[in-house]
Amino acid sequence: MSYSDKVIDHYNNPRNVGSMDKSSADVGTGLVGAPECGDVMKLQIKVNPATNVIEEAKFKTFGCGSAIASSSLATEWVKGKTVDEALSIKNMDIVKELSLPPVKIHCSVLAEDAIRAAIGDWKKKQESAKPVAVEAR
Amino acid sequence: MATQGESTHSCWSCGAMRAAHFCEACGKVQPPAPADYFAFFGLPRKLNLDVAALEKDFYELSRKLHPDLNARTDKREQEWSLEQSSLLNDAYRTLKDPIRRTQYLLQLEGVELEEQSKAATEKARATGEAKKQIVPPDLLEEVFDLNMQLEELRMHKKMGEDDPALIEEIGRQKLELEEKRQALLNELQADWKTWDGLIGREQAGQLVSEDERKQARDKMVDLLNRRNYIRNLVRDVNEALEN
Ligand code: FES
Repeated sequence: MSYSDKVIDHYNNPRNVGSMDKSSADVGTGLVGAPECGDVMKLQIKVNPATNVIEEAKFKTFGCGSAIASSSLATEWVKGKTVDEALSIKNMDIVKELSLPPVKIHCSVLAEDAIRAAIGDWKKKQESAKPVAVEAR
Repeated sequence: MATQGESTHSCWSCGAMRAAHFCEACGKVQPPAPADYFAFFGLPRKLNLDVAALEKDFYELSRKLHPDLNARTDKREQEWSLEQSSLLNDAYRTLKDPIRRTQYLLQLEGVELEEQSKAATEKARATGEAKKQIVPPDLLEEVFDLNMQLEELRMHKKMGEDDPALIEEIGRQKLELEEKRQALLNELQADWKTWDGLIGREQAGQLVSEDERKQARDKMVDLLNRRNYIRNLVRDVNEALEN
């Protein structure tokens, strides 16, 4: 299978590889897996508590090139977005950007899941930190 | 075993009633009937199967269906025997392997593993909640952590350093993984038994609810999902330790 140039670029120069302190109140961590292939992806975000803007994003993926590229791209995209804006990123946006073939769609799903999981984790932390619900749902 | 199933048609060559793959009367190869792999061998859709008997059937059918048999003068028959032979090979390879057999059955039963994951993502989108992961979170943690260790090991090796403590730790995890893999296979056997029990009841003319079927299927799907991670880990651990 041949990868698109963009995938190869992200694969060779992955952006934002690394990790942040999982226990920090501002950090949300998402660890997700693709049962189809057994690959795993961890994505972390650091959110500015005053503005809800994602200031930092890190990832580490053990998986195929498309999954690495998808998560690398995902960290680039979420940075500078508010949490709610980041939630609107869909796996198909990633598929289009990276020109992933149909068999690699699940790799992009993994990235979307990871964003969502990281944000979910962060939100949970905020709720438990402030017993008075700040967010109207 | 191989001669059960579709014996309701007559042979294109001699007109006698035939078996699924070749005519019982004159032995000519018949056009392939649309059949799943279980039906190809005249088997019910049960998962616990006698692999030795399957192998025997396979060899016997291979011989009889072989395209190079010089008695095949009819061009159509040549083609059919080619088609049947390749079908036979696919069917045999799929059914003899416990995992592939289970995957195949689930697929026949309309389970799409990939679809499941996608459906869960869509649900998460709609509800705004985090997606329910299909495998237990602690398994994911374990997979992730072990992968980190493997990466470390690879890095050390690349720089020509030795790290006996790490190698020992990974070796210990390898043993644990192998135990886990065995445990999964045992669990799979139990799931097969449940499934086969349902098919057995159906064969006996009893009613089996869709709920019961679904439960039995879901258990196997869940197991196969977990197994993919374990399989990858075993592979990666072996690679990292060897190189
Ligand atoms: S093949 Fe599984 S994430 Fe790409």
